[in-house]
Amino acid sequence: MSSPGSMSEDVNNVPEHIGNNAFNRDVRPTESDEQMVRQSAGRSGNDHRPGLEFQMDNDSNDDYQDLRNAIIKRKSSAFVYRNEIQKLNYANSLLLKLPTEILLQIFHYLERKDLFMLLTVCHEFADLIIEILWFRPNMQIDSSFKKIREVMELPRHKTHWDYRTYIKRLNLSFMTKLVDDQLLYSFVGCPKLERLTLVNCTKLTRHSISAVLQNCDRLQSIDLTGVSDIHDDIILALANHCPRLQGLYAPGCGQVSEGAILKLLKSCPMLKRVKFNGSSNITDEVIKAMYENCKSLVEIDLHNCPNVTDKFLRLIFLHLSQLREFRISSAPGITDGLLDLLPDEFCLEKLRIVDLTSCNAITDKLVEKLVKCAPRLRNIVLSKCMQISDASLRALSQLGRSLHYIHLGHCALITDFGVASLVRSCHRIQYIDLACCSQLTDWTLVELSSLPKLRRIGLVKCSLISDSGILELVRRRGDHDCLERVHLSYCTNLTIGPIYLLLNNCPKLTHLSLTGIAAFLRREITQYCRDPPPDFNESQKSSFCVFSGQGVAQLRNHLNQMIQGRAYLLEHGDVNPLFQERRRYVHDNNDLEEDELNVWARQRGLGFLQENPEANHDVSDVSGEVFRELNEGSMGPEEMREHFQRLIRNHHEQRLIQRHIAEQSEGIQARLHNQNRNIQNAPQLIQPAVFPNRENNPSFAGETEGEDVEMQPVDLFPSNQNA
Amino acid sequence: MPEPKVIIISSDDEKFPVDVKVAEKSILMKKMIEDLNPDGLEEDFEIPTPNVRSTVLAKVIEWCTHHKNTVFPDDDDEDARKSAPVDEWDKNFLKVDQEMLYEIILAANYLNIRPLMDSGCKIVAEMIRGKSPEELRRTFNIVNDFSPEEEAAIRRENEWAEDR
Repeated sequence: MSSPGSMSEDVNNVPEHIGNNAFNRDVRPTESDEQMVRQSAGRSGNDHRPGLEFQMDNDSNDDYQDLRNAIIKRKSSAFVYRNEIQKLNYANSLLLKLPTEILLQIFHYLERKDLFMLLTVCHEFADLIIEILWFRPNMQIDSSFKKIREVMELPRHKTHWDYRTYIKRLNLSFMTKLVDDQLLYSFVGCPKLERLTLVNCTKLTRHSISAVLQNCDRLQSIDLTGVSDIHDDIILALANHCPRLQGLYAPGCGQVSEGAILKLLKSCPMLKRVKFNGSSNITDEVIKAMYENCKSLVEIDLHNCPNVTDKFLRLIFLHLSQLREFRISSAPGITDGLLDLLPDEFCLEKLRIVDLTSCNAITDKLVEKLVKCAPRLRNIVLSKCMQISDASLRALSQLGRSLHYIHLGHCALITDFGVASLVRSCHRIQYIDLACCSQLTDWTLVELSSLPKLRRIGLVKCSLISDSGILELVRRRGDHDCLERVHLSYCTNLTIGPIYLLLNNCPKLTHLSLTGIAAFLRREITQYCRDPPPDFNESQKSSFCVFSGQGVAQLRNHLNQMIQGRAYLLEHGDVNPLFQERRRYVHDNNDLEEDELNVWARQRGLGFLQENPEANHDVSDVSGEVFRELNEGSMGPEEMREHFQRLIRNHHEQRLIQRHIAEQSEGIQARLHNQNRNIQNAPQLIQPAVFPNRENNPSFAGETEGEDVEMQPVDLFPSNQNA
Repeated sequence: MPEPKVIIISSDDEKFPVDVKVAEKSILMKKMIEDLNPDGLEEDFEIPTPNVRSTVLAKVIEWCTHHKNTVFPDDDDEDARKSAPVDEWDKNFLKVDQEMLYEIILAANYLNIRPLMDSGCKIVAEMIRGKSPEELRRTFNIVNDFSPEEEAAIRRENEWAEDR
């Protein structure tokens, strides 16, 4: 299966953790998956405080605790000098007499602007509040960013306090366009700096970064994600000045030498979290130094470090039992022997995240061992591990409720059977990616429909997926579905109808990718899709079709409007509730006489529904027509409306013929019902889908009997095979 | 035989007999009771509170009695504690003069009654919120000890904190 613009497939479906370039961020502006995963993965056990500050200040309470303790300590040890006025204040104001501890508790309930008002009330308050305000200067919004910059650029003798001595957290990643070397230089000399976050500050060079690190002997973490100018200077500055370093995220460290990294690892024994990506200088020697010097490592991220082998990693897995997250990719030296030294039982009890993307040497054997040793794995990424087969999925199913996140993109050997055994045991899966697993069929969707917490589905290029599968997914999951992100690009058989229902059943949907699907590549649909990445070529651009955020809502509205006028056509099952709704709609509070209602209905080609409410299959046939038109037609809405009414009338005349088909499909329904009993977790019966027209999906049930379903799942939706 | 009581003694030697359940709202007293009576209370148990005077202690006991069945959010859940609004009853209960309010907060701090301390601090925060420095000085009986130049410089250099 080859489709145009395979590059855009990668964009839609790149594993969320590989934030390897700016392009990637542009493509996925509302990325929340990683945060979600991080929160769910990183917040259990004793390690409440991630070593690094991530995008949001979500640990501000812990911070306040630290700050409070520091201030109380300082106040209790320092002699307080008060001049005459201050003595008077202290004697007169009961509030001032409260212990520091309590004052800080009161300030904790105030916003920054109230603290600002208190700041100039008196020295006593100012002394406390200045430390709270500058603990973490607010660089998040434009106006305060600029004001802080002005203050920082003043020479010391022109400011009332030396604000640098108060700063402990510095996060410049909110206004990255405004962050340049000059700004960072103004922060040189913050002796108490503990966390420095420079995510995506692309203008910064190694010079200002290494300058700011001088004398930061309390630095605990530095996040250089997205900084491109990382050279030996920065790493050596960390090694020389920051002995307490616990977290280092330097994914763009390709230019850093092996020697610098070795020096760093030897100088910073407290390191807990390291991220070195895209470097061929991460060698076995580096891994050995990690193992020998950094005994507290909990997170190791080595994406795209091709020279790493499992030679010393084996020792890390054997001895660093607190290891929580391990990521590596594109390292052919990672083999099934990775866990060989481990005894065959529960031993990596802290391990939650394993990512082995594109480590092609590994096979099912390693996965089986991994599951035995790390039974509490939460996230596992095996994308592009080509040898992984259903055996791995069966092994992973033993993780049961522990498993929340699984990425199996490009594991082309896996089949519906594997997915079924995984999904049936691991009910808590929230994220599943099966991109390019080209053997998967609609059965996979039927299985996925039983996951109550599912938030993201990736099925890019699973080209056997059809409308029937999506319809089943939608119908079984019901409305108020919790799905948030659905990737269906290059599932080329899909049409509008099922997607319309998917949109309406998933109120939380924020991302829907439909790139390369002919049915959606029309102006009226793509007008709501977001802009293709600028570096796409013309053919990639023309097939790009991804909706996110507001675009999803707009697409939903559009399809609703387009279809609302004909909603009665789309209903199947009991038409009566719909009819009642129509009645309310037409004649607000007054009850219509039945006759009037019939007239109203007949005018709209609905008369036969009243006469014969059982003839639902007639309706579904018409809706097949409707969707053929929606999908292929180029008529305007009014024109289309007339056209459909005409269709319905014709239909009415041919009712006898149609009934014959209806009976046939009732037979099919019964048969499907039988089959359905063999599928576990099926909350409802399978009924023939309404939307896909029957010409494209000539029948729903093959000739197989129900008993065969488990053995031959493809026969559940044989149309795909025939097509 | 009646249930044994906990007798709390104020700094001015007034005695307040209360049920164990009421006294246990104070983590300090709860620990004391448990540590010194590992098999449960068999007779009345006296706890002196040498830095809480009787009028304040009476208020604190009133609060503990009212809340003896209340379940409060977990102490460690700072988020829940920070965002929770002050309980309506507490709000009325703490409509007292500043001196009494601070003494209740101090007592709650000493006796380790987190929810009472939180309510008290939130009430004080409420008194601070939205006021100008001059209004704040008036409210809390403070004289400005900055020179006008100092005050202006501090404002200028920290103006960013006013932005949301």
